[in-house]
Amino acid sequence: MLDGVSLEVAQGEVLALLGENGAGKSTLMNVLAGLVKPDAGGLELAGERVDLTGWGPRGARDHGVGMVHQRSALVPAFTVAENLCFGDTRAGPWFRPGAELRAAEAQSRRFELEVPAGRRVEELAPGQRQRAEILRALGRGARLLILDEPTAVLTPGEASALFAAVRRLRDAGRAVIFISHKLAEVEQVADRVTILRRGRVVANLSARALGARELGARELGRLMLGRDLPPLERPAARAGEARLVLRGLCVPGVTESSRLRGLDLEVRGGEIVGVVGIDGNGQRELEEALAGVRKPSAGSIEVAGRRVALRPRALRRAGLAHLSGDRERAGLVRGMSLAENFILKGSWDDRRFFRRGRIDRRAAARAAREAAERFGIVPPDPERDIASLSGGNAQKLAVARELDGDPPVLVAVNPTRGLDVGSARFVHEQLLARRAAGGAVLLISAELDEALALADRVIALVRGELRRVPPGADRAAIGAILLGEGAA
Amino acid sequence: MSEALLAFLSGSLGSLAGWTATLRETAPLLITGLAVALAFRGGVWNIGAEGQLLAGALCATAVATRLWPGAPGIFLLPAVALAGAVGGAFFGALAGALRAARGVSEVISTILLNFVASSLVALAIHGPLQEASRAYPKSDPFPAAALLPSFGRVHAGLLVALLLAFLLHVLVSRTPFGFRLRAVGLAPNAARFAGISPERIAVTTLALSGALAGLAGAFEVAGVTGQLYEGLSAGTGYTAIAVALLARLEPLWVIPSALFFGALEAGAAAMQREAGVPAVVTQVVQGVVILLAVGVSIRRRPGVRLPARARSEAG
Repeated sequence: MLDGVSLEVAQGEVLALLGENGAGKSTLMNVLAGLVKPDAGGLELAGERVDLTGWGPRGARDHGVGMVHQRSALVPAFTVAENLCFGDTRAGPWFRPGAELRAAEAQSRRFELEVPAGRRVEELAPGQRQRAEILRALGRGARLLILDEPTAVLTPGEASALFAAVRRLRDAGRAVIFISHKLAEVEQVADRVTILRRGRVVANLSARALGARELGARELGRLMLGRDLPPLERPAARAGEARLVLRGLCVPGVTESSRLRGLDLEVRGGEIVGVVGIDGNGQRELEEALAGVRKPSAGSIEVAGRRVALRPRALRRAGLAHLSGDRERAGLVRGMSLAENFILKGSWDDRRFFRRGRIDRRAAARAAREAAERFGIVPPDPERDIASLSGGNAQKLAVARELDGDPPVLVAVNPTRGLDVGSARFVHEQLLARRAAGGAVLLISAELDEALALADRVIALVRGELRRVPPGADRAAIGAILLGEGAA
Repeated sequence: MSEALLAFLSGSLGSLAGWTATLRETAPLLITGLAVALAFRGGVWNIGAEGQLLAGALCATAVATRLWPGAPGIFLLPAVALAGAVGGAFFGALAGALRAARGVSEVISTILLNFVASSLVALAIHGPLQEASRAYPKSDPFPAAALLPSFGRVHAGLLVALLLAFLLHVLVSRTPFGFRLRAVGLAPNAARFAGISPERIAVTTLALSGALAGLAGAFEVAGVTGQLYEGLSAGTGYTAIAVALLARLEPLWVIPSALFFGALEAGAAAMQREAGVPAVVTQVVQGVVILLAVGVSIRRRPGVRLPARARSEAG
């Protein structure tokens, strides 16, 4: 995975580590955090050579390496204060709630990272949760802080707050490694940039050099990908008639703030409508209602002019296809082959593959192979287990399956989550191709940039209600709407 | 020690008598093993093969000795087998319905239904199904027309069991229902998004699984004992779990797996009978085999990854 990588970060410096998925960023950081042992090479921390023979998570912590993972490593049912002292070897055998709470609050003030220390982690917003994680790393004496794609779950406002916190930590003399694949963030926060590609360092640039050589986002993108990525082409919209109509859709929510409260929405043929919002504001419920797996309490959905029963098969038959960045929600079954996954959604009524109580395996294999070749799935072997494919290739199969038969309506939910730049580009091109072919596309995305780049209209989903986003609104304005601060 | 080993070998696979004893033990293990394998493939943890077997034996006995004892052989035997399957299916479907409607874990409900089934058997043979002379808590002997034809001491149920293994293989790997069942077993949530109802599949799977176990129960009374009494099944439905796991839930592999456990049971009985070795020893051997089987099958289960591997693949 990693091939002779050298990396240096100084005290009081923010190093951004850029690279596509699979470039080796996470592996490199896992080496630093003691989760993966390197085959060769050395490590120096604060001028002191570290013996790597017994290198492990505890050694990393004792040497002052603190890591904040993409997925939260906090115990959801514990309060922030409990999480901060949880696993702290310096604490005695007794748990003292009052003292722990005061210590957590003191730490929060000291590092200017505001968290509600007495609240349970599961009740916190993503930004608060992340600050709690950073506090925990710092509380264990981290002098080198590693943040693994920290902005993936944050709103623009929360991200700016995080950048400010990172700058304060840097000014206080700590070293920060900031992993990202978003170029815009790197320009905002990093002093230096190291770019990884396929396990090697391909560029090492200071921020000043970044400015002086006027390396734009495009140049950085080229370095990351190893090839040029032309800008997305989005010809003018030719919107037709309404293909997907939601009328007063009310859906019970996982939490109170994610309950859908009477959604009215129209998506016309030949347009992409982007629904943006912070996770937990009803995106999940909207997706599930449109996929037919969560029953609305009121309202209706029309597909291609006809009211549809909200069940998976009925929706699919009516021409609504559903694409998700989550493998399970995309309906991909690990342990089944490409061919089996390709025919899975039609397992009730697709006569091409299912006839007279048996499966036409040859037809399935043929269709899967064709799809694999057309969409560039590697390897194009229909008998291969989908679990052995990379995220990008698995997603390509989901795209191939969903676009099979030219459905008039496509609902895409975070369709590029976890994908590298190249695969994400492929998915985006497919969505635009759907639009050009007159399909109606509803894009529900947590990534504002994605929605802005693709959608003809952007709508915000805030606490289960749709709010208008004025055309041409900038990121800050949209961020304010998402937080419920803007006008409804 | 060597005496015990010799007794074990000749009592299981080392002699003709050993082979017939082994095959006799194999038949119920094969059918119940298939029942468990089918359920596990569909993601339902049916621990209730024991109870479903007893329910099947109970219903079969009711038909053979009370409801239709005078029927001609061509009708009676199929009716007995069908009654067994229906009884087992009812017990299985009950657990399935509880899960689908109320989210009750089938692990709990099937275990509890095992107790219900064995109590029902006790109730029946002390009451409505008790033999005419009322001397012992057991049923009347089956009429000759209700007995399975047998070759020596091996009854025809074994042939049916072999046939069922092939049928289930086709069902699981070649039919749309088997396809949906596997999808639900591997990833219920993904299957739901793909338009398959995991609840419906769970009920159907448990009913089918119970039907198989119930059939095994019918074959036990109609092929081996010829009557119903308490302690009819000494844990066959539990050994079936090990049989299915060792076969890695592949219906065809259940055949050699059941044969292996059948030999183990037959050899153990011989060892106990002829060399005085406590049966506990073979139970220990069985336990070790189960642990090994579980260890192997978990490692091979798709989707379950060891953390270290997952990390190195995360990139």
